[in-house]
Amino acid sequence: MKFSLFITGSPTSTKACHSALDFALALMRGGDHSLAGVFFYEDATYIANQFAMPPRDECHIGQEWADFATQYEIPLYVCIAAAIRRGIVNDSEAKRYELDTSNLAKPYQLEGLGTLISLSSESDRIVRFR
Amino acid sequence: MKTLIYLTSPTYSSLALKEGLDLALVLGTFEQDVSLCLTGDALSLLHINQSPLQRHGKHLYKLLDGLEFYDIVNVYVKEDELHNSTIELWDGITSLSQDAWHSMLRDHTHIYRF
Repeated sequence: MKFSLFITGSPTSTKACHSALDFALALMRGGDHSLAGVFFYEDATYIANQFAMPPRDECHIGQEWADFATQYEIPLYVCIAAAIRRGIVNDSEAKRYELDTSNLAKPYQLEGLGTLISLSSESDRIVRFR
Repeated sequence: MKTLIYLTSPTYSSLALKEGLDLALVLGTFEQDVSLCLTGDALSLLHINQSPLQRHGKHLYKLLDGLEFYDIVNVYVKEDELHNSTIELWDGITSLSQDAWHSMLRDHTHIYRF
């Protein structure tokens, strides 16, 4: 079965991103399923802020998702409108808003909600984490 | 594929309801079959004569009359919640009995709750 994940819970005040990563790892290690992509919306977009620095002895959930995405070649989409509202910008948005720097971590990608619709069309199941 | 945006959050105390409506409008823009349903605190979106301050965020009630331009024509509420409301509500809603509500939920492929 092909899955997509839709995550809306904050990476700091909820465990949505953590639970979703556990689920994604189980999917990939199980072998019977595939993951089309992950879409971060609402406060979950904070996950893509490369300036977020948790203490060294704590889980860096943003980096863990990035490592997962790189290892399994899974796209991590971040809603562009929700991200910009929360101060997370890539290079082109930083230029557009005349900001000194960008802060979108790699390999996260800013995308519109149309990408979520595409994911839902191509997936058998969308699983939400809030 | 039928998609339901299921709104339960209060209108102005967080961005949740606005971001749910944003998703509904994008689904409509992409010509997806999308409906809305509201229950609990989200019913405050339907109160007529609301006048939020700029600090509260965008005046979301004003979006309601524009939903039809996105082909969003079904806005469902629960019949029993309407009976408990003493405030006049936007008139574009469809009220459903408990059984019809459950049937409506089963009728959708994807449900996004905000």
